[in-house]
Amino acid sequence: MKKRPIGLLVAAALCVCPAAALAQTADEPEAAADGEEVAGDEVPDGEIPDGEIPGEEDLGGTGLGDICQIDPEACPNLDFDKEAAKDLGEQIYAVQQLYALRVRRFEVQPYWATSLNDQFVNHPGPGLALNYYITNVLAVGANFNYYRPFNADSSFNAQVRRAARVGVPLTEYDWGAALNFTYVPAYGKFAGFGDFIFHYDAYVVGGVGAISTRPIPVIDPDNRTFDFEPKLAFNAGIGFRVFFTRWFAAILEVRDYIFSDRLENDDTAILNDPVAVQDKDRWFGDNSLTNAVQAQVGIAIFLPFSFEYRLPK
Amino acid sequence: MRKTTKKTMRRLLVGLTAGLALSATAETAQAQEILLTGPLAGAPAVRKLRLYREGRFEVAPAISFTLLDEYQRTILAGARINYNLTDWFAVGLWGGFGALQLNTGLTDRVQDVNDGRREIEAARRAAGGGPSVSSRLTGVNMGPSFEDQVGSIDWVASPQLTAVPFRGKLALFQNVYLDTDLYFFGGLAFVGVSERQECDPGEGKPCTAEESFERESRMALAPTFGLGFSFYVNKWNAIGFEWRGLPFARNTGGFDNHGGGPDSKFPDQRVNADDRDFKFNQMLTISYNFYFPQQYRVSE
Repeated sequence: MKKRPIGLLVAAALCVCPAAALAQTADEPEAAADGEEVAGDEVPDGEIPDGEIPGEEDLGGTGLGDICQIDPEACPNLDFDKEAAKDLGEQIYAVQQLYALRVRRFEVQPYWATSLNDQFVNHPGPGLALNYYITNVLAVGANFNYYRPFNADSSFNAQVRRAARVGVPLTEYDWGAALNFTYVPAYGKFAGFGDFIFHYDAYVVGGVGAISTRPIPVIDPDNRTFDFEPKLAFNAGIGFRVFFTRWFAAILEVRDYIFSDRLENDDTAILNDPVAVQDKDRWFGDNSLTNAVQAQVGIAIFLPFSFEYRLPK
Repeated sequence: MRKTTKKTMRRLLVGLTAGLALSATAETAQAQEILLTGPLAGAPAVRKLRLYREGRFEVAPAISFTLLDEYQRTILAGARINYNLTDWFAVGLWGGFGALQLNTGLTDRVQDVNDGRREIEAARRAAGGGPSVSSRLTGVNMGPSFEDQVGSIDWVASPQLTAVPFRGKLALFQNVYLDTDLYFFGGLAFVGVSERQECDPGEGKPCTAEESFERESRMALAPTFGLGFSFYVNKWNAIGFEWRGLPFARNTGGFDNHGGGPDSKFPDQRVNADDRDFKFNQMLTISYNFYFPQQYRVSE
């Protein structure tokens, strides 16, 4: 245990180094590309004060100055504003490298989910997805959602029951899990405020798994208690991922979990029969095909952190 | 055995921390290299940018779909008209009218129950009986036709400002390439709403009378904001997707929900403005955008 503080100190020191490097800019003296030191009052490499030509003061000395003394017409006289306006002529490759390769990398996605289409009971909760990219555009994976402590019965339900004396069967969720395929058909980049560039991709995801649900007793809450039961659930969705680095991204996903839900029996006629109200088989009513559409907002971490391109640019 | 596990855990922790620090260092070195020696060092982020918006009018016929509706879904047909002062800022107007209004499953369910109750009530009356308990308890809230008393959004008009901070491109199936932008907008919306008219037995307008369940129109003011994507298919056309928030209070069911009891949280046998609940109305919009003049400028 004695070595742990030393290790942490070393790590902390290493963390501090990049912060200093980040603050470095091209015009700092140490940043001279050739590694030579630049005097404090000298203009750094690449920066030219307005209207000045490098070496102009030294024209009587050596180098360019010699040429100017011998033949003033041959003396280089560049208009740097015009030069700057010229095309850079930079090399543009027919196929640019993708910013972040996904192939043979794991993706860990912790996220928070919230219901988009259930006005009666909201089912928020944390989730975790793990994907492995077989190719750069196709992944297999799994995800898990945990809802149990977070189900929120809307006050709107009570209003309907009070005003219209109509009970709406309600359902709460416990957990959901699925095996999925992810396909990434679209990628691109955005320039933010015309200044910085970030990369993004869009994906579709689909799979099969289970979701554990139970009815919230509304029709006869005095007698009925329900246990959570898992049901077969299919899912399909689309997602959007914004890369901050080559291994760290933010995600926004909309996923529809489709399953056949067992609802509470809303037949109030049996409530007058003291035997029937205790019969658990009569607590459940019709099955209902449910589309639980949820938004999932989170982050994506790609492992390993680094990768190598197969070909140069 | 326990000592070995502890030792392994310790090494793992130190190694993991150092590894994280090293990975952070490597990331910084990479950024520095690009900044100092890359061929595009000092160059602007985007050159020869197609200025799809600057100095152009945008006319975008649009269809909007309301989300998370309690009793009635609305499909609004309308349009957005913008003038783009710069490539990143526009002033304009969005508007639409409720072309299609559809009942939710809950409305159909309440309607069925209500129809059943009214049949039973009619039979009781024919037999010389009085109204049932259900009928008496819901008399203020349930009219002859529930689906005719629920609130609706009839039209919306919103002057708004649009900022376009993000411009980019998208590759689809590595085959189709589109220019895109992501924009944010905000404004003040004038919303035409229909909801159950006010009634008050104290003013001679009993809330159980059939005519009290008729709806009347009013105009609500609400902030509106959202974000959207444009996908440019050619020099003067784009496909747009937009999410919009339109929060304001309204009485969606025509019920007497509030006004009585502590903090006015309980019914007061009257239907009025107190019965409106704050609702975060949301909608998704799909549009097809036209830009005029048809030719865009290109930046340096």
